[in-house]
Amino acid sequence: MLQQLPPPAISCKGVWQVYGANPEQGLKQALSDAGGSADEAARLLRQRGLVPAVQDVTFDVLEGEVFVIMGLSGSGKSTLIRTISRLVQGTAGSILISGEDILTASKQRLIELRRNKLGMVFQHFGLFPHMTVCENVGFPLKMQGADKTSRRKRALEVLELVGLSGREDAYPRELSGGQRQRVGIARALAVNPDLWFLDEPYSALDPLIRRQLQDEFLRIQAGLQKTSVFITHDITEALKLADRIAIMRDGKIVQIGTPDEIIVNPVDDYVREFSRDVPKGRYSHVSSMMSLPDRLPNMPDDPKIGAEMTVDDALASCMALYQPVPVWGADGKMAGIVHPSQLASALQSERPA
Amino acid sequence: MKRPTPAVWAALTAVLVGAACITLSPYFHWVTSWPAGATLPVTSWIGTGLTAAFELLKPLARTISTLLSYPMMFANTVLVNSPYSLTIGILTALGWYLGGIRLTLLVVSGLGFVLFSGYWIASMNTLALVFVSVPFALLVGFAVGLLANEFKSINRVVETTLDVMQTVPTFAYLTPLLLLFGFGPVVGLIASIIYAAPPMARNVMLGLQRVEPEIKEAAIMNGATRVQQLFLIEVPSAVRQIMVGVNQTIMAALSMVIIAAVIGGFNDIGWEVLLTMRKAAFGQSLVAGLVIVIFAILADRMSGALAQSEVRYSWRIALAVVLVSVALATVERSLLPGPDSYSAFKGLAAAADSYLNAFTAANGLVLDAVKNGAMFFVLLPLKIGLGQAVLPFTWGFMWTKWMSAAVYAVFGVVAVVMALRGSAVLGLSLLIVSGVMIVGIANLPWPFMLVSLGALGWVAGGPKLAAFAVTMIMAILLMGLWEPALLSLYLCTAAVSVCVVLGGLIGLVSSVSPATWSVVRPVCDFFQTIPLFVFLIPVLMFFQIGEFSAFLAICAYAIVPMVRYTYHGLTSTPEELLEAAVASGASDWQVMREVRIPYSLPTILLGLNQTVLYAFSMLVIAALIGTTDLGQQIYLALGQGDVGLGVAAGAAMAILALVADRLVQAFAMKQRQALGL
Ligand SMILES: Nc1ncnc2c1ncn2[C@@H]1O[C@H](COP(=O)(O)OP(=O)(O)OP(=O)(O)O)[C@@H](O)[C@H]1O
Ligand SMILES: [Mg+2]
Repeated sequence: MLQQLPPPAISCKGVWQVYGANPEQGLKQALSDAGGSADEAARLLRQRGLVPAVQDVTFDVLEGEVFVIMGLSGSGKSTLIRTISRLVQGTAGSILISGEDILTASKQRLIELRRNKLGMVFQHFGLFPHMTVCENVGFPLKMQGADKTSRRKRALEVLELVGLSGREDAYPRELSGGQRQRVGIARALAVNPDLWFLDEPYSALDPLIRRQLQDEFLRIQAGLQKTSVFITHDITEALKLADRIAIMRDGKIVQIGTPDEIIVNPVDDYVREFSRDVPKGRYSHVSSMMSLPDRLPNMPDDPKIGAEMTVDDALASCMALYQPVPVWGADGKMAGIVHPSQLASALQSERPA
Repeated sequence: MKRPTPAVWAALTAVLVGAACITLSPYFHWVTSWPAGATLPVTSWIGTGLTAAFELLKPLARTISTLLSYPMMFANTVLVNSPYSLTIGILTALGWYLGGIRLTLLVVSGLGFVLFSGYWIASMNTLALVFVSVPFALLVGFAVGLLANEFKSINRVVETTLDVMQTVPTFAYLTPLLLLFGFGPVVGLIASIIYAAPPMARNVMLGLQRVEPEIKEAAIMNGATRVQQLFLIEVPSAVRQIMVGVNQTIMAALSMVIIAAVIGGFNDIGWEVLLTMRKAAFGQSLVAGLVIVIFAILADRMSGALAQSEVRYSWRIALAVVLVSVALATVERSLLPGPDSYSAFKGLAAAADSYLNAFTAANGLVLDAVKNGAMFFVLLPLKIGLGQAVLPFTWGFMWTKWMSAAVYAVFGVVAVVMALRGSAVLGLSLLIVSGVMIVGIANLPWPFMLVSLGALGWVAGGPKLAAFAVTMIMAILLMGLWEPALLSLYLCTAAVSVCVVLGGLIGLVSSVSPATWSVVRPVCDFFQTIPLFVFLIPVLMFFQIGEFSAFLAICAYAIVPMVRYTYHGLTSTPEELLEAAVASGASDWQVMREVRIPYSLPTILLGLNQTVLYAFSMLVIAALIGTTDLGQQIYLALGQGDVGLGVAAGAAMAILALVADRLVQAFAMKQRQALGL
């Protein structure tokens, strides 16, 4: 018997978000006029003065996954997560969070979910101007009903985590942009949400503190197995943090895949453009290029290449070889084989042979 | 040739209808005066309707009146009977706490003046009303603003109501209230609550609207309930704007309490001003007027400090001040004179009076010349037209039909020439202006007014605005208030024209000369703080009761927004636009003409809008010193307790202001859109 899988953390099906006057009606009309084609419907909507900010988006985010959304400015990233968290009411489609239909959830249930399960870091911080840093960070705890001393204690803990110790009694207006963003992050961390949305959380930070917080993020992620939906413009950040990346363009998701798939097998030029300046050997892994044929060819050499090695590292140890080599999995068994020339060409050409 | 624009059509229609009216008026009387038979007895309907309604409401009203009289009596007793050293001490301590040494000095010297003027008790009577009305007004305003923000469905209704309330003249509130609540200070209190609540509501709505969306969303995502979002996040985030509302509400309450003094008899400071003014004891009325100004300034600065700065000064010193004043208060009865026995400025007032008498006696000829010159050569022609105002005994000759014909012919030719050279609208407008000058605003035929205002509305805001303007003006006609309405229009036009020219000029000069602005700015601030009432005193001193004094008072009050907005418009041109112009080799004057003025036009138009509204609100107050327009009708109705007339005339005045407001706003909007702002 098949084991019952846990439901995905987020499951979106055919989600639309249309802005403008009377969007539901407009979308229905456009879809029926377009004969069900989403692209055509979006074109019609634009023609009629409506803004289809998210178009027919379908994807799942698995439990414990870091799901990164990338895309040019205005491609609908913020709108998508605002629709999922129901800050705006989606125009069409279904959204399940841990199997629960969020679009039909009652007001009370939404409040409960937001208090205990969801967290969000806002692109423009969204700090409360009349509260100190400490009160800002403590606010979600206050909503949960925590008392004052425990709020302050927890707030100081997370502030330390984001490197803002000592500024707890400052007001947001007294902080720099990067410091404000860290307050926003600390506030989302305070309640330990199971699922959190981060809208360009590190964009306003200097490279040093950004790296530090990225590492911190990975550490928290590994330890607590949160599910994260993370928006960024920075491809290296995406490659570093993501389990999977979704690329958005004009409201649509054009590709979803692991970092390797995105850089090794971009579906079109738009996606390729994102990874153009990325040193591919450093970010793609052998596992994305190996194969496991039924009949193994003759393999005289074994440079001990692991499936999880980056292409750069693998190539360094088999550059001089002209025969296929075995690739070993983490469990010590052979995971597949790869030809050194295959690895080399992956670095040179845009599209691997 | 280009196709004529809608503006050309509108101007042309107005010209044709105007010409038709002028030709027909000698034969058909109804062209110039709305036939009495077509007037609906709206006034008496309103009168009987309201009186009947009031009969029903009276028990409720009287209950409210009784309920309100308790806090009022309490405040009154406390303020009047407290030793003045204690009152001054507490207010000084508050001044210190809110604004440090500068505000302290202001409070001490201001209240000192009040005490020594001998108006302490009268002032405390006024203050008691303010103290009671302000919390109610704040509460009502806050609740209304909050509800309008919460329920989008009532948002528009509330906003329109607030707009209308802003245009209803102050006196118009008093007559129905007087009937409903009976003679007594409660009327002033309730009028002041009604009048002072809107600014609070407006600012609460504005403040809540302006809270950043992400801040609201952050509250939602943290799981706050709607009530928590509102009171823990949104209201505190909007606190600055709300405090601006508090400041405006306090000022409005004070102003209304003083205006309500016209119903008289409660020994308050507004009444003192009125009384001394009627007795022509101007020195004394100036002192009383200064007392009002002082309270206005103190209220403004204290609530301003509360709103704008978060710096607070040591409460220990404040406490010390209070303790000292308590100590003083205990010995006040035995050692210090009672509050009534001060009259430090009596001699001064008398001296001012005699000096004034001497001055008017010595310069009577000059003053009269100024007044008569303005009346005979400017105001009167504007009012009844050159056709009637040009008489041998003032102008030295008689205006004849031929002169009118000649003027029309000249301007007709000008219009045609200008039309051929591409500025048809300007040419036709000049022709219209020449017609108005000959006929006079008070004699304008109503068909012409209906058509031209409708056309103006069409050009500015399309068919909806045109329909609005026409319906509104029709309402005035049907109410039978056309003649006084035209008189209001005349006085307002005269004053606004002067304000536009003079205020625009002052604003222009200020915008290029910071030194001028540093003088003009405090004067503007000062003029905007003083209650309208006080403007009457100086003009009366020099020009006695009459239309000219009213005109001057309106000008003095209404010029301020014109100056301010012109200055702000001209100085807020983006730096890069100016640099682009300079880089293209424009001279200073060219930069002004080509960039600054066009760019600031929407702002200046908003200034004009404010000026018009200010002029209308002063028009009513000016009824106290002799006008013959709608304002006078409202004032008369108040004296006679005629609700029908009071409400109808008040509505007519509000209609005029509202139509002017909408038209100017629409033009400003058009201009803004044309600039892509
Ligand atoms: N409330 C709204 N009303 C109308 N249009 C909107 C609204 N919010 C967003 N849009 C439009 O939806 C589109 C997507 O906006 P969104 O903020 O999601 O972009 P984004 O991908 O987050 O961009 P950025 O990287 O700049 O943050 C834009 O074209 C925007 O103009
Ligand atoms: Mg965004």
